Amino acid sequence: MKQRRLRIASLVIAGLGIAIATYLTYVHYAGLQPICAGGSHGCERVQSSSYATVGGVPVAVLGLIGYVSIAGALLAPGDGARLAAAALTVVGFGFSAYLTYLELFVINAICQWCVSSAVLLTVLVVLSVWRLLLVDEPPLEVAAEAS
Amino acid sequence: MSSRQQQKEKARAEREARERADAQAQQRRKRVQQLGAVLAVAVVVVVVLVLVSQGGKDKPNASNGGAVAGASDARAMLAGIAQKGTSLGDPNAPVVMTEFADLQCPFCKQYTLDVLPTVVQNYVRTKRLRLEIRIRNFLGPDSDVAARAANAAATRNRLWNFIDVFYRNQGTEDSGYVKPAFLRRIATAAGVSPQLVVDGSTSAAYEKPVKVAEAEATAAGLTSTPSFLIGPKGGKAKPLSFSALTVDAFTQAIDPQLKALAQ
Repeated sequence: MKQRRLRIASLVIAGLGIAIATYLTYVHYAGLQPICAGGSHGCERVQSSSYATVGGVPVAVLGLIGYVSIAGALLAPGDGARLAAAALTVVGFGFSAYLTYLELFVINAICQWCVSSAVLLTVLVVLSVWRLLLVDEPPLEVAAEAS
Repeated sequence: MSSRQQQKEKARAEREARERADAQAQQRRKRVQQLGAVLAVAVVVVVVLVLVSQGGKDKPNASNGGAVAGASDARAMLAGIAQKGTSLGDPNAPVVMTEFADLQCPFCKQYTLDVLPTVVQNYVRTKRLRLEIRIRNFLGPDSDVAARAANAAATRNRLWNFIDVFYRNQGTEDSGYVKPAFLRRIATAAGVSPQLVVDGSTSAAYEKPVKVAEAEATAAGLTSTPSFLIGPKGGKAKPLSFSALTVDAFTQAIDPQLKALAQ
């Protein structure tokens, strides 16, 4: 039961991540800038920085691929999928932590969309590790027999 | 039910409970091992991503103690083309394209090195297009120093050479590399007085064009670099949409504008 709840909660958060990454990918290819609260240059500076791409691939696209992969692993059944979901979220969290470090100490600007994504990945990593470590409960009939 | 049978069932239940507890403990150990493997793989993948993200940022050039790169390329691209202040090309060209750039912006560098030579060759040399540039400073302190220095070079009609050489020697963002020694070398390679550029980099007089550039960008709704406005000479310009920083994308964006404005 707990597994199911964790899985649903993770899927909802992955869905939010997909929405954010899709928006950032769209504005990147449309040549627009993301809406940045307060009218600051934060999003503009982060998006115009040399760290906005990894090996020529925009970070927004990497994020979209990551969130879709996480959602796919969450939807798939079995222990392998649970392990894959945990691995993907840990990688996403680690890379997101690196990007947040760049924003704070190298680019010296904060993009609210990136921070939102970092928060989502932090919650996702907690849920997916919890789900991975959660030991399966015995079936109800076995538990009833035992009592 | 006899007492003996009850004892047997109790023993069986206890055995089953022990087996379940053992199985759960085994499963827990397995999961912890899996978590360890996940963390190890994740560390490797993240390190690879970080290395790829950092890659190509430290090629030797004037920003990191190397030789000044690309001075002859800049001269070759701009040879024989009229420069006046922030303009490049025939003052009577029927169409004007204004670029908004930050000298620290890697995408502005990409445009300048990959696309601008073709734009110059196909549109500026054929007198169909005049280029204008507005230098912004939003990426940080090094942008501000570089923008003032560039505006000083503009007073000697060497702005486009200065910009081109600067991009070819662009350093790590806001690492403090835009120092007088760096500016001297860029200015020399661009064919402009090093002292003028160094003095200009700290002069309030050259801050005004930067403020004007920021105001123009804001008024036109341009919020990223590089951004472009295109319009008829002396007429109202509008933002140029382009799908990528490639020659094909810019040709596809500029050609219809030239055609429409020529009619």
